[in-house]
Amino acid sequence: MRHDFLDRYSRQDTPTHRASAEAKLTCGLAVVALTVAAPLDALPYFVALASALVAVALAARIPLNYLGVRLLWMEPFVLGVGVLTLLQPQGWKVFLGIVVKSTLSLVTMAVLANTTPFAEILRVLRRIRLPALLVTTLALMYRYLFVLVDEAERMQRARVARTFDRRRLYSWKMLATVLGQLFVRSTERAERIYSAMLARGWK
Amino acid sequence: MTAAIEICNLSYRYPDGREALRNISFTIDEGECVGLIGPNGAGKSTLLLHLNGILPEKPNGAVRVFGQTELAMMRRDVGLLFQDPDDQLFCPTVYEDVAFGPQQLGLPEEPATQALAQAGLVGFEKRSPHHLSHGEKRRVCLAGVLACQPRVLALDEPTSGLDPRGRREFKALLHKIRATKLITTHDLDFVAEFCSRVLVLDQGELAADGPAEEILSDMSLMLAHGLERPHTLQHRHPH
Repeated sequence: MRHDFLDRYSRQDTPTHRASAEAKLTCGLAVVALTVAAPLDALPYFVALASALVAVALAARIPLNYLGVRLLWMEPFVLGVGVLTLLQPQGWKVFLGIVVKSTLSLVTMAVLANTTPFAEILRVLRRIRLPALLVTTLALMYRYLFVLVDEAERMQRARVARTFDRRRLYSWKMLATVLGQLFVRSTERAERIYSAMLARGWK
Repeated sequence: MTAAIEICNLSYRYPDGREALRNISFTIDEGECVGLIGPNGAGKSTLLLHLNGILPEKPNGAVRVFGQTELAMMRRDVGLLFQDPDDQLFCPTVYEDVAFGPQQLGLPEEPATQALAQAGLVGFEKRSPHHLSHGEKRRVCLAGVLACQPRVLALDEPTSGLDPRGRREFKALLHKIRATKLITTHDLDFVAEFCSRVLVLDQGELAADGPAEEILSDMSLMLAHGLERPHTLQHRHPH
């Protein structure tokens, strides 16, 4: 079962991990804001930030190839948004800018997530008075993401164990069934979780 | 004796119209430990949920906990342990989960620390629920329930999915808790060892209610309701 694909390295013990979550979160958000606001041709800033991120990752003993793989997972979303800019004149400059900026922001967040346990991040968010409902939603999302992944994995395994017909169309149909089932199971689980919350006095 | 749980002519239909509980009545006195057994789909879990008034539709009949019918008071007095620990552990860390109940009830957080110690979970405070074993999750769930200091414990298949050691530890833990207990389970040896009284539920109806030993050793009754005589009673020899 994969329970740590989001923040495998967040529970290590290095000076970076020991630093206060408040400082790390502020720093991370500031870096993202700066990166977003930076002009498209601020090359020195981008290079400096990239090297700083690599340095922090190394200091926190987060393997760079792990960050790379995480990035590969996220990059399609960035490219999907960025591709539209190619349609305008001189669009490739904007496209490159968007790719560099979002990649750097993603790495910043990945480094943050892998140096600070999620519960700590939530604690800070609660402290800075983010609406309680939002924090609760984030907490539940983090908690049940793994349960959902486990469930999907189990269903996938059960499906593979009884798949004898390897035609492509059939396997697409099966995938649709699995996704539908997953949705139904998730809503049912959500109801049970809500019951459990009510049972312990949730108002 | 004060009555801890009084259920009077309780009937309930699921939202899709299926009948789940039919005209159920019984009373459980304070301090009793009662086993609720019956085949799969008999309505055992649904019955337990009624003790907390959780189901969205109003049932017919009355459920009273220490004479009260008010939801907030019922939820406070009855600690419900759910069948799947993943449903019950919804907080990011063990400590937050155990402290959730006291926080919601406006109690100090001291009981949470006590409950953690009681369940042998000191040192687990900062762990995330998804990094725990099934047995550990169960104990965290129980600690979360105990932290609310309930007078009645309603446990839904507390030993299912536990290995023998986990089961033993859970039983030892349960043994030390002084509360009225209503336990649904398929683990009949557990009932024989633990409960003084047994309720048999089948197809939403109460099929039997009596002393544990009498009911568990009634072979024809047990077989008629998809159950069997527990091994501990089968192999007991009078010598």
